[in-house]
Amino acid sequence: MDMDTIHNLDFSGYSTITNTTPSSEDDYAYCTWNHWSPLVNWDALTATPDDFHHLLDSIVSDGAVEDNLSPDNVGSNSVTEEEDLKGLRLVHLLMAAAEALTGATKSRELARVILVRLKELVSHSAHASNMERLAAYFTDALQGLLEGAGGAHNNNTRHHPNHYHQNDTLAAFQLLQDMSPYVKFGHFTANQAILEAVAHERRVHIVDYDIMEGVQWASLMQALASNKTGPPAPHLRITALSRTGTGTARRSIASVQETGRRLTAFAASLGQPFSFHQCRLDSDETFRTSSLKVVHGGGAGEALVFNCMLNLPHLSYRAPDSVASFLSGAKALKARLVTVVEEEEEAGSNVGGFVGRFMDSLHHYSAVFDSLEAGFPMQSRARALVERVFLGPRIAGSLGRIYRTGEEEERGSWGEWLGAAGFRGVPLSFANHCQAKLLLGLFNDGYRVEELGSNKLVLDWKSRRMLSASLWTSSPDSH
Amino acid sequence: MERMFPPKKPSTMNSHDRPMCVQGDSGLVLTTDPKPRLRWTVELHERFVDAVAQLGGPDKATPKTIMRVMGVKGLTLYHLKSHLQKFRLGKQPHKDFNEHSIKDGMRASALDLQRNIGPSSAMIGRNMNEMQMEVQRRLHEQLEVQKNLQLRIEAQGKYMQSILEKACHTLAGENMATNMKGTIGGPQGTPDVGVMKEFSSLNFPSFQDLNIYGSGDHLDQGFIPTNNSESLFVGKKRPCPYSGNDPFKGDHHKVQISPPSMDSDPMSEIYDTKPVVLHGESIGDQKKFDAPLKLERPSPKRSPLQSERTSPMVNASSVAQGRSSPFG
Repeated sequence: MDMDTIHNLDFSGYSTITNTTPSSEDDYAYCTWNHWSPLVNWDALTATPDDFHHLLDSIVSDGAVEDNLSPDNVGSNSVTEEEDLKGLRLVHLLMAAAEALTGATKSRELARVILVRLKELVSHSAHASNMERLAAYFTDALQGLLEGAGGAHNNNTRHHPNHYHQNDTLAAFQLLQDMSPYVKFGHFTANQAILEAVAHERRVHIVDYDIMEGVQWASLMQALASNKTGPPAPHLRITALSRTGTGTARRSIASVQETGRRLTAFAASLGQPFSFHQCRLDSDETFRTSSLKVVHGGGAGEALVFNCMLNLPHLSYRAPDSVASFLSGAKALKARLVTVVEEEEEAGSNVGGFVGRFMDSLHHYSAVFDSLEAGFPMQSRARALVERVFLGPRIAGSLGRIYRTGEEEERGSWGEWLGAAGFRGVPLSFANHCQAKLLLGLFNDGYRVEELGSNKLVLDWKSRRMLSASLWTSSPDSH
Repeated sequence: MERMFPPKKPSTMNSHDRPMCVQGDSGLVLTTDPKPRLRWTVELHERFVDAVAQLGGPDKATPKTIMRVMGVKGLTLYHLKSHLQKFRLGKQPHKDFNEHSIKDGMRASALDLQRNIGPSSAMIGRNMNEMQMEVQRRLHEQLEVQKNLQLRIEAQGKYMQSILEKACHTLAGENMATNMKGTIGGPQGTPDVGVMKEFSSLNFPSFQDLNIYGSGDHLDQGFIPTNNSESLFVGKKRPCPYSGNDPFKGDHHKVQISPPSMDSDPMSEIYDTKPVVLHGESIGDQKKFDAPLKLERPSPKRSPLQSERTSPMVNASSVAQGRSSPFG
């Protein structure tokens, strides 16, 4: 890497782009992550073995980089610049570590060395900067990959939210909901779509892939029960999937039962007819339609809805097969509506192998951290708690999954999967879109809603797509 | 996905109207003038619009990306460039004043609608009434949505509270039972004023004063229904060390009970007693709405230095691909 290019970096905080359109057709897929940082000459970074030589220099001699730059600093921004610099250095190191783990010049030793250096620079503490904390969790994740030999043990054991004390998790959950729209966006969009889809039904049956505390259903029940005009509230039945097996799964069953009790009580307080059921997944988390009790037939039939929340704070490392079996079940049972909320990946992020997807993931979580800080810059402890309880584990799980799937398998979004599997998109209503905008308005200005296609709403943070909520159907009724 | 690429059916409608048009194999309609020009049929245009929407709107889509997404043989960048430009300016060859135009940006004012139609003035008069009625309808719908949103958020808040209370009671019970070695100082006299106030904020009192920093004063005017467990809980110096030390092991230094210093507890950071509230701007695009939409947002959002600080990654992304800077 040409150290001289650093002199050309622009520290004003606003940058103009050098070129936006790919120079050739082939570049297109790569241009996304190669072009998003005008602060750094990424092309130079990704090039030759010389990079590592220079990189190790910077690892070894701390002051070297800063010395080259200090003369040119203009006035008051030097603190910010230093932090930016440090941030950049962390990014370089992380990328180098990812590269060392999996890239062409694969070397576990090198990765180990880089991670050691990283650990000196990063911190989980609330007093650290966003970048330092973000890098800390990514460092942890990479460390896990390095040690875990591909990480069979990463699955379900480490970083499981239940690993933390219950109250920590609840506090963090509460904070996450109040400090950001991520949770509510998914819940409310799905719920609005459900309300519209079951508008004149007498019975509604929702199968929830990962019910957790059941928070999503509180507002749905309220909406169902409070509809003064029109027909009386339908009977609502919710079936929650629970994981079988030992240890953490047993806790899962207990917590699902607890959720059921809570929802039942809440429904009663609203006067909403309600019943709750559990449905066990197989030990490999496969969903079988046979284990589900469905009510068929004529007017007494129920409107079937499959609800699949895959975003924060849900666990990210749900085996794709498990989700696929759930969605296939929806198709087999001709569900009236399937609601899917998942994290968005930038187009083209599947290219570039592990390192490319690693960087995209880094970018994504960086946006999450930033969005939390933008709304609550003073509340670093609160944010640090949310990061520790939810984001850290999710990062580790995410990277683990990317690492294990390897280069051959380019997994697109579940939305794409559903489209390919024969589901039809259900158009999002004006009311739903409107609700999303209003919701975001309660938070920071940096959030935006985008409509992508007619059945998908995307939550953006500053032009980065974060979450998408999409609606599908596989029932025979035509739309 | 499948909706985007419907099976190609030959469109015969044009071959009768304009004898000068020929049908290519790809379904494109080209004229047979000396200078072959592409005819944007309804179907083709719809696919164009879909592609643009997929790519994030007319401002984000580029002729190249549209071409890729549409995947229509024979369609060149030249065709797309000019069509995209026209699309952006709103001079659509078909008078489609459809859902897309209204939804994009939600700027449903009569003025904006008028702009979209462009200079084909013959249509303006006819469509003004339709537009205005449409606008009215949309405004009403928005108000409905707003009202419902408030109720739904409140319901969720209530539910969350029931979870937290339950957890809290459990913990309090544990504490009394196990009688921890003075780390908390027993059930009595625990200085948890800060902790108490945390829970008060879980009620979102009303849409108008939706402030994250709850304050004790709001308790009474809240929507809190007559739920026994709530009133028991709130306002009493109950020994519920929500962020108790005892079951915690390890580095949970962040969550701790301490004498009333509010800032050692991450929860109290957010749910502080001091009602630091401030009338924020009205929501995003909804500047037209009146008072009920004024929301109070925590002041820190305004700290000038902070608002400039983003990590290198986000900074970078915000200018990639021609998107405008969020702080622009």
